[in-house]
Amino acid sequence: MQQSQEKIGIREYIAIITIMIATKVTDDTPILFFDTLDTAGWIAPFFNALIVVIPLIFLMKVVTRYNKGLIEIIDGLFGKYLGFLLLFIIWFISISALIIDTAIYTDIIGTMYFIRTPTIIIYGLIMAVCAYGAKRGFAQIGSAAWVVYPYLQVSLLFVFILTLSDSNLSFIHPIFGPGPIEIVKESTFTLSIYADFLYLFLIVPFIKDIHVFKKGTWAGFIIVIINVGIAFLLFLLLFDYQSLKMVNYPFHEVIRYIDTGFLTNMESFFLPFWAIASFIRFTVYIWINALLFGHLFKIKQFEYVIPSIATLIVFIGILPESPTYAIFELRKTLFQFTTPIFFFLPILIWIVAKLKGDFSNDDNNN
Amino acid sequence: MMTTITKSISLFAMLVFLSGCWDQVELEGRAYVVGLGMDKIDDETNQIRITFLISNPEFGSLAEGGGGDEPPQEIISFVANDMESAKDVANMVVAKQVTYDLLRVLFISEEFAKDPEFIRWMYDLTKSKEIRRDIRLVVSKEKASTFIQNINPLLESRPHEYFEKIFERLNATGIAPTSDLLKFFRITESDADLFLSIYGTSLQKNNSGSVQNPLNITAGEFQYEGMTSPIQFAGAAVFKEGKMIGTITTRETRLAYLLNPTLPIKDILTAYPDPFSEDHKLAIRVEKQGKVKTKMDLKKEVPSIDVSLPLAVEVLSNHSMVDYPKEAEKREQLKKHLDDEITKVFEDFIKKTQEEYGTEPFGWSLEARKHFRTLPEFEKFDWMKTYPNMDINVDISIRFSNFGRQGEVPKLEELRD
Amino acid sequence: MLKQFLQKTLKKIPTVPEESSTEEIDKKQSNLNASLKKNLDLFKEIYQYPLNTDIQFREFLLGNRKALLIFIDTITKTDIVEDHILTPLLASEDTNKKIEDSIPVKSIITKTVVKDILIEISKGYIALFIDGEEKAYLFSAPNFEGRNIEKSENETVVKGPKEAFNELSSTNISMIRKKIKSESLVVESSVISQRSNNDVYILYLSDVVNDKMLSNVRERLKKIEVDTVQTLGLLEQRIEERPKSIFPTILFTERPDRAASYIEDGYIVLLMDNSPASLVLPATFWSFYHSSEDHYLRFPYGNFTRMLRLLALFMTLFISAAYVAIVTYHAEMIPPDLLLAIAATREKVPFPAAVEVLMMELAFELIREAGLRVPSPIGPTIGIVGALILGQAAVQANIVSPIVVIVVALGGLSSFAIGDLSMNFAVRMSRFLLLLAASFFGIYGIAALFTVGIFYLVSIKSFGVPYLSPLTPKYVSSKDTIFRRLLQNEFFRPGYVKPKDIKKQ
Repeated sequence: MQQSQEKIGIREYIAIITIMIATKVTDDTPILFFDTLDTAGWIAPFFNALIVVIPLIFLMKVVTRYNKGLIEIIDGLFGKYLGFLLLFIIWFISISALIIDTAIYTDIIGTMYFIRTPTIIIYGLIMAVCAYGAKRGFAQIGSAAWVVYPYLQVSLLFVFILTLSDSNLSFIHPIFGPGPIEIVKESTFTLSIYADFLYLFLIVPFIKDIHVFKKGTWAGFIIVIINVGIAFLLFLLLFDYQSLKMVNYPFHEVIRYIDTGFLTNMESFFLPFWAIASFIRFTVYIWINALLFGHLFKIKQFEYVIPSIATLIVFIGILPESPTYAIFELRKTLFQFTTPIFFFLPILIWIVAKLKGDFSNDDNNN
Repeated sequence: MMTTITKSISLFAMLVFLSGCWDQVELEGRAYVVGLGMDKIDDETNQIRITFLISNPEFGSLAEGGGGDEPPQEIISFVANDMESAKDVANMVVAKQVTYDLLRVLFISEEFAKDPEFIRWMYDLTKSKEIRRDIRLVVSKEKASTFIQNINPLLESRPHEYFEKIFERLNATGIAPTSDLLKFFRITESDADLFLSIYGTSLQKNNSGSVQNPLNITAGEFQYEGMTSPIQFAGAAVFKEGKMIGTITTRETRLAYLLNPTLPIKDILTAYPDPFSEDHKLAIRVEKQGKVKTKMDLKKEVPSIDVSLPLAVEVLSNHSMVDYPKEAEKREQLKKHLDDEITKVFEDFIKKTQEEYGTEPFGWSLEARKHFRTLPEFEKFDWMKTYPNMDINVDISIRFSNFGRQGEVPKLEELRD
Repeated sequence: MLKQFLQKTLKKIPTVPEESSTEEIDKKQSNLNASLKKNLDLFKEIYQYPLNTDIQFREFLLGNRKALLIFIDTITKTDIVEDHILTPLLASEDTNKKIEDSIPVKSIITKTVVKDILIEISKGYIALFIDGEEKAYLFSAPNFEGRNIEKSENETVVKGPKEAFNELSSTNISMIRKKIKSESLVVESSVISQRSNNDVYILYLSDVVNDKMLSNVRERLKKIEVDTVQTLGLLEQRIEERPKSIFPTILFTERPDRAASYIEDGYIVLLMDNSPASLVLPATFWSFYHSSEDHYLRFPYGNFTRMLRLLALFMTLFISAAYVAIVTYHAEMIPPDLLLAIAATREKVPFPAAVEVLMMELAFELIREAGLRVPSPIGPTIGIVGALILGQAAVQANIVSPIVVIVVALGGLSSFAIGDLSMNFAVRMSRFLLLLAASFFGIYGIAALFTVGIFYLVSIKSFGVPYLSPLTPKYVSSKDTIFRRLLQNEFFRPGYVKPKDIKKQ
C-alpha cells in the first residue's frame, strides 16, 4: 500500500468533493427539505450555504495556520483524551451516516430497479465494490473520481435539460413557501447537507498542498451548491410541491418521467452513471472512515480494516425493516443531531487555537 | 492454484447462467400489457374489474418463424383486488408473466371515474415499479372492458402503435387534452385546478336527423360510416379533486388549450358563422400569437382576472366569396365579427366553469400563486372558493395572417354570368 | 493459511537427475594458452569438432609462426576471411608489423578469456590465434541471414512510412538512426541471458531521458537470470510489473517511426535480434489507444479517427453486455416497436439471452482465432464460412435470434479498430467479464464492474508511471489523451516520463 502516500491534485480533489456531496440530490435528501419548506425547498440549499460558510471559514483558518489535517489538529489542541473523544464522535457520526446512506442507496436499487433481488446481495455488491476501491488508496480514489466526474456531470446536465423541457416555471410560486422565517428556521436544521465538508478537513495531508486544498474546497463548495440548488429547483418545477413531497426518491422519479425522442423510458440509461457516482461516493466515505478508525485505534496500515468495516456496514445496514421509512426517520434524526456539531465544532476548535495563542504570529503573514 | 480458481469461476458462471437471477426475466417470457382498463363493480368497494389489453409481439413480425396468423392482441377481463396481484391472477389464463413495462394507456370507465372511491385505486398505481407517470389517462363512456374489447383498428393493427399515433394527432389538433398520470396527481394534489382527461367511446350515439357540428361535440356524437374501428375520442372528461364531474366538448377543449399558459402553443382549426352570408361558415385557423397574459387582481373584494389573448387568424374557406385581400373595410368587419364571436365563446365557457365546476382547467391557479409570497397566504385565499365569484374578462386581439394559399376568389356573379 | 500451504507445495522444484558440467565451465573460464596446439585442442573439444560441421579451423603460417583462424562459416562473411584476412596475412612479409596494421577489417578486438572468445565467435566474429600469444584477435564479419525490410502488417497506416522492423537488430537500429540524426541517441547493449547470450539494445536520447527511469530499466534487465530470452515478447513478460494483469504495461510496436517518436519524447525503446518489433516503455493507457496515423493525418481527420476508435472501444466492451442487461433486466428501456420485434424473434429461441450471446461471442472468437491460424490460401474462406453461413444458419435454425447476430458482429467488428494486440486482448477479455456481470445484475452489474475496472486502471503503473496519466494524475504534457491537439499546440514532452528537457517547440 505504498501508493496511498501519494497526494492528489486540485482536479481530483474537486471531483471527490462533488461526487461525495452533490450525489445527495439523488437520494431522499430533497424530501427532507421539501417536507417542511414546500415551494421554498430549493432556496434552502443556497441559504444553507450562506450559513455553512461561517464554520468553513473558521476551519479553514485553523487548518491553514497549522498546515495539518484536522485529526492532528484536534489531537494537538485537545490533548489525548478529549481529542480522542471528539474524534470518536466524528467517527461515530461518520459511520452512522455511512450505514444509513448505504442502506438508502440499497433501498433505492431495491425498490426502483431490482425489486426481487435480495437486499443483502445488492448491499453486498455495493460494499464489495467500495471496499475494493478504498483499498486501492486515496490517490487512486481521487484519480478514479476525476476519470468519471466529467461524464457524471454531463449526464446530470442532460437530466437537467430534459427536465427543463417538461417543467413549469409557475410551480416556483409562492416563492417564500411557508414564509421567510420558516425558511431560516428550517434551513438551520438541515445544515448538515453540507456537513460532509467537515470530513474534507480530515484529509488535508493527502492533498498536494494547503493552497490546493483551500482553492479546491471553495471551488467544490460552489459546484456542489450549484448542482444541488438546480436539482432541487428542477424537482420542484417538474412535480410541484405537493406531489414532490409524496415521492420517495425524486431524482429517480424524474429520470423515469423524462424522455427524449424515441427513447421513452430512460431511467436505465441514467442508472449506470448514478451507480458509478454512488460507488465512488461510498468509497471515499469508507476510506475516510477507515482513516479515522485507524487513527483512533492506532492501526498504521488502516487500509486493511476496510473490508471489515464494509462487512460490518452490510450487516448493520440490513437490520431495519421497511427501510424506506425507517431509515428516513433515522436520517432525519441524524441530520438534526449532526447540524449543531457541524456548526459549533469548528468554532470551538478555532477558539481553542486562539486561546492557545497559535494565531498570534499569524497576523503578520496574512 | 490457477486451476482451482478457474474451476470455481466457471462453476459460478454456470450457476449464474443456469439458475437465472432474481430480477431476470427473458423478453419472450413476458406478456406485455399495453392498455389497462379499470371498472367499478356494483356494490363492491374492495374489488374492481381489470381488463388487460395484451400485445402479441409475433403479430406482423417478418422474422424467421414469425407468428403466422395469430391475432394482434389478447384481451382478458377479470375481478381483482389490486393492480399488482392482478398480474399473477391473470396467469390462470395468460401463459406468460404479465408486465406493465409497455403500458401506455389507462382506461377508466366514466362510472368508475365518478365514484368517490376512484382516487384510492389511482394511488395504487404509484406503488408499482413498472407503472410510469407518463401513462395516458382515458375515460371511456361505457365500461372500460367493453371499450377495450372494441379496440380493433384495421390499419394500425398493433395496439401500442395505434395509441401512440392517435393520441399524438388528438393533441396536435386539440380535439382531446394531453392527460398523463403525472399531471393527474399533480393537479389533484394541488387541489385548485380541474384536470382534463381524454374522453372516448366505442358507442356511436344514434341521433339521426340533426346534423351536429363536428367541431363542438363529445365522444360518441361524431357520425361516421365506413369500415373502421368503432372507437372515437373527442372532448375531455373533467376531474375535480380526483373525481370526474363532467365532460366538455372538443371546442371547449380547444379553448382550454388556448387559455392555458402551460400548454404548448397550438394552431387550431375551427369554424364560425360567416358575417357576409348566413348560410355559410367560415373555416379559420387560430394560432396563439405569443403568450397569454393573465392580469390578476386578487386583493380586491371581488378578485378579477383580465386575460389578453393575441390570436393570429388565417381564413381558410371563403364560401361567401368576399374579396378580403382587396377590401380593407370588409376585413375590418370580419375582424370585429370574429372578435365578438370568439370572445363570446370564451366567456360562455368561463362562465360554465365558474357556475358548473367551481374551478377552471386553465392552470390559472398557478398564475395566481405568483401573487402570493407565502403558501399560507395562498391557502387562506382558497382558490376553489374564490374562483366562482371572480370577475373575468377575456380580451382578444386578432391579427389576420393571411387568407389561405390563394387569397383571391373570383366574383361569383361574374362566374355565373 | 491454506493458500500459503498450497503455494509451497506447488512451487517445489522437482528433482531431476542432472549431469555435472563444472569441468566444462572451468575450461571456459580459463585464459588462453600460449601454445597454439593446446588452444586448438581446447576449442575443438568445446565445439565438438568434427561433429559440428559449420565450425571452421583454418591453420596457416604467419611468417614463421603458426596461426589459426576459427569462425563459423554460416554466420560470417567468408569473403572477408579470404580477401581481407588470409590474403594480407599470407602476403605480409614484415613479421614485425602489428596485426591491427595489416588487416583491413573495420573492427578488431582482442580477448584472452576462452568464454569471451566463444561469445564473439557466436556473434559472427573471426578469431585469429597466433602461436606464442596469449590472446586472440577478433575480426568483425557477421553475416546473419534474415528478411529484408518489409511493409508493416499489423499496424498499417495509409499516410505515413510503411517500413517495419525486421529480425535483425542492426537493421532496426539503422532505421531508427535514420529518423533521429542526433549524437545524443544512445544504443546501449547488454547481454540478458546466460546460455544463449541474447543481446538487448536500449535506445534513448541521453539528453532527454530520465536517468532514474533508465537505471530502473537497466536494473530490471540485469535481474533476468535465465538461460535464454529469444524475443521481445518473452522479454516483455520478464520485465513487466504485473505479469498477471489483464492490461499491458509495455508497448509492442513494429513501426520504427513510432518507436522513434517515442524516443524523441523521452521514452526508452528496447530492441532485440529475432524480433521484428520494439518495446516502448513506460507505456500508458493512451499509448495503446493511439495509433501513429492519428498524428500523420490532419488535425480534424486525426481526431475523427480517435472518436471512431473511442466509439469502437466502448462498443466492443459494452454492446453485448448491454444487450443482455437490457433484454433481461431493463426491457422497459427499449422502444415498444423494437421490444416487440426482439420478443418476436426470441419466441422460438431455446436459450436464455445471456447464453445465446455468450455462444455467439465464443463462436466469433473461435472464427477469429481459427482465421489467424489457417494457412493463408484458405484464410478468406474461413471468414465467409464462419461469419455468413454460421450466422445465417444459426438464425434459420432458431438457435440464435437475428438481433444477437447483429450485436455480436458489431461488437466483434469494433474490436478490430483497437489496433494494439495486447489492448485488443484486454478489451475482448473484459467484454466477457462484463457480459457475465450483465447477466447477473443487469446494467447495475455492468456499472459495478466498470467502477472496479476504473479503480484497477488507475492503480496500475508502468515503470513508475501511472497508467492513465496525464489524464490523472495530471502532468505537464501535450494533452494527447482521448483527442489530440493541433501540432502547433503540442509544446511539451509528456511530463510523466520526467524528461530532462520538457519543451518540444
